[in-house]
Amino acid sequence: MKTINAVYLSVAIGEVAIMVLLLLRIAAGPTISDRIVALNAMSTQAAIAVLFFAAFANRAIYCDVALWLGSFSYLGAIVWSRYLERELL
Amino acid sequence: MIEIVVIVLAAVGWAFSLSGAVGILRMPDVYCRIQCSSKMITMGALPVLIALVVGEGPVSVFGSRALLVAVLLLVVNPVASHALARAAYKTGVPMWPGAVADRVADRMRRRSRQ
Repeated sequence: MKTINAVYLSVAIGEVAIMVLLLLRIAAGPTISDRIVALNAMSTQAAIAVLFFAAFANRAIYCDVALWLGSFSYLGAIVWSRYLERELL
Repeated sequence: MIEIVVIVLAAVGWAFSLSGAVGILRMPDVYCRIQCSSKMITMGALPVLIALVVGEGPVSVFGSRALLVAVLLLVVNPVASHALARAAYKTGVPMWPGAVADRVADRMRRRSRQ
């Protein structure tokens, strides 16, 4: 294994470890807003982890998963905040 | 040489992401947590993505996608943080008791007095 591939894999594993820390906040958050904040940060970390795993495994098709996660976490945050504010649904 | 730059950028980004996650765990109320999560993207996610751009080159398959995700996060993250903070304030999430200023409540009080 080349050095740079080992760096990519360790970055992916490190981001997953940070996601575990954020999962604690999702479990313990007092209000629903705390959970949404932690979920938003977690999906960004997931996008980075997927992108680095794609570079490690040399699969170009995983990059689209990262793009999807990066853009739809934003849409999820907007939809959740609208739901909290104006009682959609 | 490229490996050293990639390792330094990834280590800086990972350290900032870790401190942001610890801040989300430890901060007292939801507004401080929103601040931590937005710092986590600006200083934590962008150096990691720039590390991938440096390692693979900006016109390669992975580098171009990393650049696209970086620009997307940089544009989109303040809007999401702002909307979340506004929704949290409007639904009446309480502030930390040690908070010293609430400008929105001040403005509402002044407007109702007029």
